[in-house]
Amino acid sequence: MTALLDSPEAAPADASARRRLPHLSSYSLAGVLLLLCVIATASSDAFLTRDNLTNVLTQSSVIGILTVGMTYVILTGGIDLSVGSMLAACSIYMGLQHSSGGVVMLLASLFGGIVLGAVNGLAITWGRVVPFIATLAMFSSARGLALYMSDNTPITVSSSLIDDLGTKRVLGLPMPIYVFVVVAVVAWVVLNRTAFGRHVVAVGGNAEAARASGIRVERVQFAVYVISGLCVGIGAVLLTGRLGSASPVTGSGYELDAIAAAVIGGAALNGGKGGIGGSVLGVLLFQVIFNLFNLLDVNTNLQNILKGVIILAAVVLQRRTRKA
Amino acid sequence: MSSSAAPALRPAHVAEGPVLTVAGVTKSYPGVRALDGVDFEVRAGEVHCLLGQNGAGKSTLIKVISGLVAPDTGAVLLRGEPLAPGNPVDSLRRGIATIYQELDLVPSMKAYENVALGHETKGGGLLRRDADIARARELFTQFGHAEIDPHAVVADLSPAKQQMVSMARALSHDASVLVLDEPSAILDGEEVDTLLALVARLAEQGVAIVYITHRLDEVARIGSRVTVLKNGQTVYEGPADSSPADLVEKMVGKAVTDVFPPRAAGVGDPILEVSGLSRAGEFDDVSLTVRAGELVGVAGLVGAGRTEIVRCVYGLTKPAAGSVTMAGKPVRPGSVRHALAAGLALAPEERKSQGLVLDWELDKNVSLPSLKRFTRGLLRPRLERAAAEEQLRRLDTRPADPSALARTLSGGNQQKVVLARWLLHGCKVMLLDEPTRGIDVEARSEIYRQIRAFTQNGGGALVVSSDLPELVGLCDRIVVVREGRVVGEVAGATATEAAVLALALGASLDEALAAEPTASDLVTEAAGEPAPAKRARPRKTPVRKAP
Repeated sequence: MTALLDSPEAAPADASARRRLPHLSSYSLAGVLLLLCVIATASSDAFLTRDNLTNVLTQSSVIGILTVGMTYVILTGGIDLSVGSMLAACSIYMGLQHSSGGVVMLLASLFGGIVLGAVNGLAITWGRVVPFIATLAMFSSARGLALYMSDNTPITVSSSLIDDLGTKRVLGLPMPIYVFVVVAVVAWVVLNRTAFGRHVVAVGGNAEAARASGIRVERVQFAVYVISGLCVGIGAVLLTGRLGSASPVTGSGYELDAIAAAVIGGAALNGGKGGIGGSVLGVLLFQVIFNLFNLLDVNTNLQNILKGVIILAAVVLQRRTRKA
Repeated sequence: MSSSAAPALRPAHVAEGPVLTVAGVTKSYPGVRALDGVDFEVRAGEVHCLLGQNGAGKSTLIKVISGLVAPDTGAVLLRGEPLAPGNPVDSLRRGIATIYQELDLVPSMKAYENVALGHETKGGGLLRRDADIARARELFTQFGHAEIDPHAVVADLSPAKQQMVSMARALSHDASVLVLDEPSAILDGEEVDTLLALVARLAEQGVAIVYITHRLDEVARIGSRVTVLKNGQTVYEGPADSSPADLVEKMVGKAVTDVFPPRAAGVGDPILEVSGLSRAGEFDDVSLTVRAGELVGVAGLVGAGRTEIVRCVYGLTKPAAGSVTMAGKPVRPGSVRHALAAGLALAPEERKSQGLVLDWELDKNVSLPSLKRFTRGLLRPRLERAAAEEQLRRLDTRPADPSALARTLSGGNQQKVVLARWLLHGCKVMLLDEPTRGIDVEARSEIYRQIRAFTQNGGGALVVSSDLPELVGLCDRIVVVREGRVVGEVAGATATEAAVLALALGASLDEALAAEPTASDLVTEAAGEPAPAKRARPRKTPVRKAP
């Protein structure tokens, strides 16, 4: 064996260096976030204020919860283009139940998200439709559903439970932030400390190997779309509570923000790589940048141009560091 | 064209100086030195046969020549000018065309579009389709395959015709060097004759041809010179008129008898019993038994259905008929989970693409099917890692560091990771599909020892292999499969490679046992399809999707 190995020590050294890389890139992402905050503080007096930071975090929470679900999907090598449309559908569906009280509305939203996610999952596993197409179909249908159910008009929601979830402050911070933290922590634990979480990554890393190890690949794939739907349902509750109404046109473009945040956080679109921590940092990074743009009064159209540039730059940079 | 007319095929005019020179090329992969100072020359107008066992370095050498792989040291020169290393476009532009075993055509495109791909005729910014069609037709006619319709979609063509399309594409570049990697492996007898005639004609026209084959009769028919590679080194270079026996001796070199552990002293009760297993188009009425302590080999040619059988036994595919039982209890067909629970385990043919998550650490790869055991409410990474490390150490995996990435290990060590996975999970019968493919000799003998250690502890093993010496040296019993059926069984201790091969090719058991181990049998092995044997089942198309 050793006779043919050029240098037996070379391999392990290389291996441990590579193992550190994902962590390193998480750290560097956190570093970039910190740096950005420093820059923001220096360039605008309004940035480092309690109100503004609370605002950034609150705005991060809905998109952040969607990104958590998206991370599961992307880890299996899939994609969910329908989260924005499903958000509107869930919001409208719960809005329609407003006469039945807050608890029913809450459950309706979660249920709606799970059902729509399950439809995605079935189309992909049982129907063998590629995730891009299956969720593109849902992207259209769920939006249509929201508009159809609401007859194109927003529904005013007045329920103390939903209002509280959207706006109530506990220890000075609005509820959505707490919900986001809980969702992220649970998602992290499930991903990193349960067999199911490991299976999610294995399916994206090598589906054949996963199958040969006795993992029911289709079941895992189905489950991640349901999880994504559930996250949408949670997000819809927070959004509806914060706005005090359910709108059929809400959430447009959220799918792209969630995908972008996950990718900036280190998720690979062909699966097997990524994590909750990175995705959360990706969301925060994005929100801080846009908060700063708003504080500096950058033109909205220019903001969108810069958004594209940032996504590209982040991914190109990650490729570079991974290779090095 | 029959073999009696064969010598006429040999090209008569061979130029003096070399067209293509490979000088002192070395190339190492983790754990293996694939090429170790190879020198190689090809002259215009000659058919230069490149021989060597599996893993001798032939594939790496042609990848270096075609620019797919950059050598660590050394150079490839075309008419004295060095080629840009690791630059396939440069090699192609300067006239080196390569036909790989897996043809790199675009299956959904038409024949002429494939021929013209990348250098389409253009006029006024638009494609001149007529010119491309005419060019393709002319080449097909020239090759003696005028019947190929340039408009036919490649996926609909037979493998032989696809190969012609591939050749037409190569030669439409005005290639001065043509590299053919086992072109006859996918062809029938007559198709081989046509191919050899074409190759001879191209050589006549002054093309320098590198011809890789496992069939020594082809060397005698069209070769002008021969180079033999062994362990990444050139061990022989000379005229092609050496006898097959001489060539085999050069390819095999020293006997490798001491790499195999002793056979089982005695075997116990049957554990795995497969009876009447059938799957349409793959295999038919397969029955076999593996006993406690027994190591059973499955021999057969590539395409005989061996891999399909083990995948079905393991539940990855569902059989049409038949049953699998473990220790007398039936295993639910088509369910990997039930197979696992019953004590079956599979080390798949393609370690990298089917066995491992390459971007994962070793501990995660080892624990993948056994995560439940490390879950106390939540997964306990420390327990998981310690258990994985114990198995990795037990198998002497290098490195045994559970945090090393699977990707960085050599082939032999990656195989040990797969074995460690199943030892940790616990299994009664291991199904091993080509367990030592692409693994060097020293690492092989370790894998053999570990498999044997497993059976000595009361387990059973079913080893599918295309490496006849391996089966004969390792197994207690060898089951031979031909065209999806079990055609015979030979006791390992008395088996000869020739006898097993004869069975795999289609001789009766009596004839097989009487067969003398002849030289050409040794190398024909499974990779080279026997010329006369027509396959019963539809062949898979050799075209792979273009990257």
